[in-house]
Amino acid sequence: MPALTLERLEKRYPGHTAAASVSLSINDGEFVSLVGPSGCGKTTVLRMVAGLIQPTSGRILIDGRDVTGLPANQRKIGLVFQSYALFPHMSVFDNVAFGLRRQGVEGRDLKQRVEEALAGVRLSGYVDRLPRQLSGGQQQRVAVARSIAPRPSILLFDEPLSNLDAALRDEMQIELKRLQRGVGITTLFVTHDQGEAMSMSDRVCVLADGVVQQFGTPEEIYHRPATGFVAGFIGRPNRLSGRLLRPAGQVALVQIENGPRLAVAAAEGIDDGAAVDVVVRQEDIRFAASHDTPGHAIDGRIALRSFIGSRVQYVVALGGIEVIAEAPTNGLHAGLDVGMAVRIAVAPEHVYVNAARALEAA
Amino acid sequence: MNNRRLPGLLLVSPLLLVLLLVFVAPVLLMAPLSLHEYLPGTGVSQQWTLANYTDIVTDEYFREVVLRTLALGFGVTAICLVLGYPLAYYIANAGPTMRLTLTMLVIFPMLLNLVVRSFGWIALLANRGLVNNLLIDVGLIERPIKMMFNLFGLLVGMSHIFLPFMVLMLVPAIQAIPKDVQAAAYTLAASRARVFWSVTLPMSAPGILSGSILVFVLTISALVTPRMLGGPTYKVMATLIYDDFLQTLDWPAGAAMSFVLTGLTLLVIGLSSRVLRRWGGTA
Amino acid sequence: MNDEKGPGPALAAAAIGVIVFLQIPVLVVMLAAFSKTAYLTIPPKGLTLHWFEVVLHDAEYLSAAWTSLWLAAGATAAALLLGLIAAYAIHRRMVPAAAALASLMMAPLILPSVVLGVALLQYYTLTGMRGNSLGLWLAHVVITVPYVVRASLSSLSSVDEALEDAARVLGADGFTSFRLITFPLVKPGLVAGGLFAFITSLDNVPVSVFLLSASQTTLPVKIFTSVEQGVDPSVAAVSTLLIVATGIVLLLAERWTGFHKHV
Repeated sequence: MPALTLERLEKRYPGHTAAASVSLSINDGEFVSLVGPSGCGKTTVLRMVAGLIQPTSGRILIDGRDVTGLPANQRKIGLVFQSYALFPHMSVFDNVAFGLRRQGVEGRDLKQRVEEALAGVRLSGYVDRLPRQLSGGQQQRVAVARSIAPRPSILLFDEPLSNLDAALRDEMQIELKRLQRGVGITTLFVTHDQGEAMSMSDRVCVLADGVVQQFGTPEEIYHRPATGFVAGFIGRPNRLSGRLLRPAGQVALVQIENGPRLAVAAAEGIDDGAAVDVVVRQEDIRFAASHDTPGHAIDGRIALRSFIGSRVQYVVALGGIEVIAEAPTNGLHAGLDVGMAVRIAVAPEHVYVNAARALEAA
Repeated sequence: MNNRRLPGLLLVSPLLLVLLLVFVAPVLLMAPLSLHEYLPGTGVSQQWTLANYTDIVTDEYFREVVLRTLALGFGVTAICLVLGYPLAYYIANAGPTMRLTLTMLVIFPMLLNLVVRSFGWIALLANRGLVNNLLIDVGLIERPIKMMFNLFGLLVGMSHIFLPFMVLMLVPAIQAIPKDVQAAAYTLAASRARVFWSVTLPMSAPGILSGSILVFVLTISALVTPRMLGGPTYKVMATLIYDDFLQTLDWPAGAAMSFVLTGLTLLVIGLSSRVLRRWGGTA
Repeated sequence: MNDEKGPGPALAAAAIGVIVFLQIPVLVVMLAAFSKTAYLTIPPKGLTLHWFEVVLHDAEYLSAAWTSLWLAAGATAAALLLGLIAAYAIHRRMVPAAAALASLMMAPLILPSVVLGVALLQYYTLTGMRGNSLGLWLAHVVITVPYVVRASLSSLSSVDEALEDAARVLGADGFTSFRLITFPLVKPGLVAGGLFAFITSLDNVPVSVFLLSASQTTLPVKIFTSVEQGVDPSVAAVSTLLIVATGIVLLLAERWTGFHKHV
């Protein structure tokens, strides 16, 4: 039985729908990310699971039990807030002990559980500090310890790493993942950073405008994006427009507006001549080797070069359009100069087309 | 749905009940009182009349009292602005310890009993008060100057009483002016005076308005200070109401005057809210 | 801080001048209390503690002081209780028309005190409560509660909403989360509000003067009516005692809660 099930969860406000028929099933011990741009409804879904918001319709089941009507304080859930929400007037000990005390744990038992939780986040010895005496990273770890100590069945994270600087964030991603594995607790992690979601999760759920776009493993999301939104949200996209062509007896093609013609591997359900949104990822554009068949490679010119560090980024002019392409720093194509003529190619499986919609990824 | 509303209603109703019974009801009940006639010697008759209100406009004595009250309001507000703004500016720009000390020194007189402060002014301004005695001893005058029971005494006394309110409203308004804006004005080669007049002063306008409204309303509503410094003969609207209810027992006239005073207060506050909202309302 | 020059010396002088102006009547009152003569001179013609003796033995003054204190304490306590819970319900939008309710609760600040005083005089006369202590106490609750409501609303909004959410998720019900989390955090603001309320009640003349019975009076009303009969340095002595008491309370409150941030 899945640990957490969301059944057609909806949250409608006058004027807009925050969440529309969100259905998910999360297995015991799984780490699932809920990812999407700001305003996509992910925090709304999380707060409904926590019981802080009431859904307009739909059900929430934890270990098979319907908890939709239960108030937040009876759901046995842990929640780590973006702002940590540590009680400023209480010591670290009292913060972590708070949930335990509500459960009736006291005395030696209490002390032991608190120390256990703090040891789990590597903050033993900080028991008497006040939150304002801790750094951002330390506060965050206390927030995690506080949520885990009462041994909840589900652990929720609301963009917990957004307030940390980049280096600390990378470090915390690994630590949180390790912690989750160690405790084995079912986790739902909300973030707007797709890289973070991909690196930490067993499965990823992409949300846009309150609607689930795709729910699958990171590999599935990356290599087989189900919608144009997912294709453009995950990875580093080039977003183009064009028209689909289905010449008889040949593989489907897309004619990029003002640009080249590309072969497309997957284009089911789209009519000949239909307008399409096209996504080609920067990392999928190859610089063609001289033995590539002329038909597949496209001529272009380097317009701009940026050295990022782990890779080199190029803006390549292809006739009437420009695309961003990249090359590994230590590879053959790291040293191309601005103005140089180049030939690029994209495998047909890496050309993602979807019927043109007004839907825009942030 | 119902038992979600219940806790909220339970929390609010005790206070709501008290306010309805002891605030709203009494004030509303004064309305019919103000529309009855008062017969000296007999009391309040059952006769309906608008005379209590029309008298305020037609009777010269009442007109004078109302105009005097309004003049006092404007005068005290102006004095408080002139005296209070420099102090508020200084406090707003001072370092934390200085700001705390000065703020305490501004608040301290406010917390003192109003009667005590008014009494202090009597001790200063009376014919045998400190100022007159000092001037006579030094030889500057021969006979005491009349500084009480007239507009001068009231202006001085009430400006002193309400000055802290003005200062406390101005300080946050001046503090809220972003230092960057003033710094930008300086880099555009403006003189300090120029920066003050074109940047600081206009940007503190919401605070100036709020402080002025507060002082004005407090001044026209005041009873204690005008009574103590003006005596029983030099009346303003509030002291007139006091006399109506406790001395002459002409309750209907007092009630009518009360509504006029309240109306003026609400009018002033309403107008200024509108202006503040149009200014984007920071106060 | 920038390099730009701070306010010039002229401004500093003006500011200090106004500060001194603000303290003058206070100082004068204290001077009069110690002065041997019934009229004031600088320098005073002799110092004495005589007037203090008179006042501290005057049964009427003592009784008036006692009445004032009890009244203020009782009104403040009631205002704190009623005001805080109402403010909490308004803050958490637990009632409809929350903003309108908040305005109603602050309305006594706008109505001129004298108008409330005479309205209550008529009202209590009609209901037979004229001169009744209960009526006086209720009137003081009405005039003090706006300060409590304002301070409560302001304190409540400074508390991060996520804190109560966190408490709930950790298993606390509404009352527990208020008791353990919200209340400790709003206490300083409440103290400021309570202090204002207490002083407002202690200070009040325009409402009290209409509602007192023949047998009881409050200290400010007694001073107010005594002055009408002629200035007597014992009034100055009482006033000085009040000044000292206020100063002590202010310092203590600041020391205990640092409430000046909430004024």
